[in-house]
Amino acid sequence: MHEFSIASQILDTAREHADENDASHVTRLEIEVGEASHVNPEQLETCLEAAKTNTIAADATVVIETATPHAECDCGWSGEPDVAENALVYAPDLTCPACDGRIELAGGDSCRLMSLTVSDEESTADSPSTETV
Amino acid sequence: MTYNYIHDNPLQDGIEHVIDRLVDAGQRVPVGPLRAHRFGHGDHDHDGDDAEADILAQFAEQADDLHERVVHEHGLFVAEFLGATGAGKTRLIERLIEQAPDEETIGVIVGDVAGEDDATRFRERGAEVANVNTGKECHLDPEFVERGLSELDLDALDTLYIENVGNMVCPADFPLGAQARVLVVSTTEGDDVVRKHPMLFQACDATVINKTDIADAVGSDLDLMESDVNDIAPEMPVFQTDAEHGDGVGDLRAFLNDRGHAHAQDHEAYVSKTAGHSHGE
Repeated sequence: MHEFSIASQILDTAREHADENDASHVTRLEIEVGEASHVNPEQLETCLEAAKTNTIAADATVVIETATPHAECDCGWSGEPDVAENALVYAPDLTCPACDGRIELAGGDSCRLMSLTVSDEESTADSPSTETV
Repeated sequence: MTYNYIHDNPLQDGIEHVIDRLVDAGQRVPVGPLRAHRFGHGDHDHDGDDAEADILAQFAEQADDLHERVVHEHGLFVAEFLGATGAGKTRLIERLIEQAPDEETIGVIVGDVAGEDDATRFRERGAEVANVNTGKECHLDPEFVERGLSELDLDALDTLYIENVGNMVCPADFPLGAQARVLVVSTTEGDDVVRKHPMLFQACDATVINKTDIADAVGSDLDLMESDVNDIAPEMPVFQTDAEHGDGVGDLRAFLNDRGHAHAQDHEAYVSKTAGHSHGE
């Protein structure tokens, strides 16, 4: 359960950007979680819901999307890596399909705050909702 | 209410901590349009000059700051050890301390949810020790390491070992600025341990398969474990050790020495891969 640390970092970042834009509320947070990161999207959602209470993002809608990994190889190959056959849980296959060398992930291994919507108005009566896409 | 294990209710302290930081975010000012603030991402319609907020990279940047200070300003070699509770991390570090030359001064930052037991074991072997109790946190982060560093005289040290909290999931996204991240697993965890935690292996620089002396007794196939590592994390060095009796530790020590020396010559090539996102840029 390291998702709470990550939720806290997301809210810190959101607050900084709200401050820079002189906004009093954050109404929507869009987050992208890479499938090859170690972040569990469902746990992150739960942690964000708890952590945003009594913050300027208290009523924000949280949208979490997942991103597939992307890898590049020194040999010039790039693309979505295969799934490691030998693993019991998801992991990318880091063997290059073209040259059998080790490929490095160039995407889909991060957790990003993609978009933030801010407002100066009190929130409407609509209750906040969370979507996981 | 009593919480018996580390993953239970991490929110209990956390929420107040977060509220403390966020509650001063300003009075609510009425009236104003809804404004979308989209982070700079090539395919979005936006005049933005903000970097898209890569949350994990922010932890990596903290690790880079640590690396710059400890490795480059103070000239230490830093290795992090992570793995499950009972894998033998503490015993392995004890052996590394015992086998070090007399002139090498070693410091250890010990991350543990509670207690002084491991710290005492290192002190008895002559190491300088900073004990960091993480409480309900299941991993060390750069702030915990900073706390440990404040208890050590960095100018007096040659080598710093960081023992992470026993955990096979959470430390992966929290690099600590070490030149080498060593994952310690043991035969007692079952010979499918590599296949169960593939992405942690992919996030580390070397693997130690410990407790080789009792592999047969616990029915673990060492060749299978090693070939699993090669499948999951191609090209990663693997060391088989029996830390209890000191066997195989010399090879690990040689690897760490090489890595420290190579890093001094070629920084780009030998930053621990999870700690060095920004170095190459």
